[in-house]
Amino acid sequence: MGNSESEYRLEMTGITKSFGVVSVLEGVNLKVKHGEIHALLGENGAGKSTLVKILSGVHQKDSGKVVLNGKEINPKNTHYGQLLGISVVYQELSLVNDLSVAENIYLHKLGASKFWMNWKKITKDAQELINSLGFEIDASAIVRDLSIVQKQVVEIAKALSEDTKVLILDEPTTVFDPNDAKKLFANLERLKKGGMSIIYISHHLEEIFKIADTITVLKDGVDTGCVPKEDIDKDGVIRLMIGRELEDLFPVRDVVVSEKPVFEVKGLSGDDGFVKDVSFAVRAGEVLGIAGLGGSGRTEMAKLIFGADKKKSGTLTLNGKVITTKNPVEAVNQQIGFVSEDRKEEGVFLPLSIRKNISITSFKTISSKLGFINDEKEYNNVQNLIAKLNIKTPSSEIDVKNLSGGNQQKVALAKWLSIDSKLIIIDEPTRGVDVGAKVEIYNLINEVAKKGVAVVVISSDMPEIMGIADRILVMHKGSIFGELPKDKFSEENILRYSIGEELKN
Amino acid sequence: MNLTIKQQLSTPGGILKFLIKHNTIVIFVLLMIFSALISDVFFTQTNLSNLLKQVSGIGIISIGMLIVILTGGIDLSVGSLVALLAVTFALLINLVILPAAILLTIVMGFALGSVSGYLVAYQKMAPFVATLALMTIARGLGFIYAKGSPVTFETAGGAFMSDFANNATLGVPNIAIIFFIIVAMASVMLKYNVFGRLVIAMGSNEEASRLSGIKVNKYKFLVYAISGSLAAVAAIITASRTNLGSPNMGVSWELDAIAAVVIGGASLNGGKGTAINTLMGVLILGLIGNILNLLNVPSYPQQVVKGGIIILAVLFQKFEGKKQ
Repeated sequence: MGNSESEYRLEMTGITKSFGVVSVLEGVNLKVKHGEIHALLGENGAGKSTLVKILSGVHQKDSGKVVLNGKEINPKNTHYGQLLGISVVYQELSLVNDLSVAENIYLHKLGASKFWMNWKKITKDAQELINSLGFEIDASAIVRDLSIVQKQVVEIAKALSEDTKVLILDEPTTVFDPNDAKKLFANLERLKKGGMSIIYISHHLEEIFKIADTITVLKDGVDTGCVPKEDIDKDGVIRLMIGRELEDLFPVRDVVVSEKPVFEVKGLSGDDGFVKDVSFAVRAGEVLGIAGLGGSGRTEMAKLIFGADKKKSGTLTLNGKVITTKNPVEAVNQQIGFVSEDRKEEGVFLPLSIRKNISITSFKTISSKLGFINDEKEYNNVQNLIAKLNIKTPSSEIDVKNLSGGNQQKVALAKWLSIDSKLIIIDEPTRGVDVGAKVEIYNLINEVAKKGVAVVVISSDMPEIMGIADRILVMHKGSIFGELPKDKFSEENILRYSIGEELKN
Repeated sequence: MNLTIKQQLSTPGGILKFLIKHNTIVIFVLLMIFSALISDVFFTQTNLSNLLKQVSGIGIISIGMLIVILTGGIDLSVGSLVALLAVTFALLINLVILPAAILLTIVMGFALGSVSGYLVAYQKMAPFVATLALMTIARGLGFIYAKGSPVTFETAGGAFMSDFANNATLGVPNIAIIFFIIVAMASVMLKYNVFGRLVIAMGSNEEASRLSGIKVNKYKFLVYAISGSLAAVAAIITASRTNLGSPNMGVSWELDAIAAVVIGGASLNGGKGTAINTLMGVLILGLIGNILNLLNVPSYPQQVVKGGIIILAVLFQKFEGKKQ
């Protein structure tokens, strides 16, 4: 084993990992050479992030073997991973907002240094590092004041501040415009030539085919082998990622969409000025998709409609009547429902029972004037919804924290069906939900729309949004940049609108 | 979860699980048995009735504290409010007829609690800070109105209250009956009323509550107002017991109330706790004081024991959490 001349710098073999009863990785292999850009692909929830976190020491593997430079390693924490030369740029930014750029870049070294900090040197080094990447950011600036793109660059600089042997990038370009992305790719090429091994996670297939040398696709916790880029094309990769035909996943949309809009919004702008002048209409029976990159203002727009954030201007019309939603209370009174993308923090009450979660919106119908809850009415209502949504649970008294992600999401939805919502906005309906529950949620959305409820679905998952929506609006920088009718649906078109480019003809 | 007690006990390991789940009651019963064994005086009517009288005041504010804590907040002002409101009641009883004095004192308690409620709910002040400020203000006002010394009851109404507070009905001290009624009302509200449901929902996830269309601010405001009103009731019975209102009353009662709520298994993060368990917490704290008094343990070691019991109770609950 001690042979460091092995072809591979990093060999992960038979990695398994489960969280509780949920098995995320079921024997994954990943082999990365010296001086190689290795793309790691897979659907949301395929296990990419977990694999990377095992490598960097955030999670510990259940079984399997990780060999770096011919030596078996077993990173127990992130510090250990860094010592071995493994650096990760995560999707969720891990910067400390109140510290300067330089302090952030050298944060992990601060504790290890001698008693006094040499701020001048740290700032100078950080500035040089950023300059070498070809971006213009002041190393003494406070991170809070940076744009999201600049933050991402700092994150990358931080990963490179070490003697990095293996660099892992988790969707680094989602916030970048094409120009910035180009700069990043040039940097990656340079680092690769210097012998660095780079693992590049992305959903963006064009990017992958531009820069990667080798591709590994994960599918439901198993890898589908390691393929040189030359031996595969985009369609091939998609087939590996999905592993089944797309049509199986989504319900048949046989709803007749009426011409009459159920819900209409005109000139909606947020108080903080980020969401600007959004106008659209949802027709009865229609599922309207909202696409766009993370940070394009989709969630913010939804929260404005729902009254959770403050509006500057905008008119809302529901069933022909102009309504106001100054706060969620008013929105709920108008029978508008909102399922948050952040299920655990905003969507459900984890420590409370399914019954209490579902009833939270329905006290008007299940309690007396003095507020005493009618047990029978409550029980019947909850049982109906559990059956209707096929929530898998032995009883309505089970705490929601004990349910799977998919069933939790159904509970979050149930409370809005409980009040016969006329408009439901669902933000990322299947984030962290397994495939089986996904299909059920898609069917549910379909059924709800059939009944004439206006449904708005926000999703970053492109196959998903194309599979369930009748029409897609794409947001870019806080406004609706373009609209795609069904015959124009394609990942490319959505992406073009997402980054503010017109469609190719 | 819906199992009857009998079913719970008959499942494997059921008895242990049952005991762990209802640990506050178990501790209470064990303490009772222990007390009865080591002291002949413990199970006498005089002692038990004294014990109940002693805990009633703190018990009533503990219920207010529980409701505040259920929302994830805290109310440090209640001890000082008892002092200020006891002085207020004593002044009022010498000025107006008894029903008016009682009513006005409770209204004032509601108003004082509303100050905290307003600061927390509408000015987004941290509950700890807002109620800490009110705690200082109320204590100061108490001394100002009382001119530094206790205000004694001097009217027939005062005599009536004093009589009422020191007597018993069917062997149960009258003020303990008031305490029990409040526990029962709180219990019913928390279990069967929308108000209780919302308070618990807010404490378990405030943002999810807001996004479910709940008037979060209104309910936050209300819980502090209720806590203030209950402080007024506690003040009235405490003043009546001694026939006077003193600005020195209720010192550190807020801490005892928090201790009782915590021993009763409530989470300071909110969303978890019941009125019955808080009653148990109050009785446990009272019992410890009582039995240590009977054993002639001086008051400083008593404090040490009380602190130890709080730690034990919380450790026990952690164990319970893990078991589940």
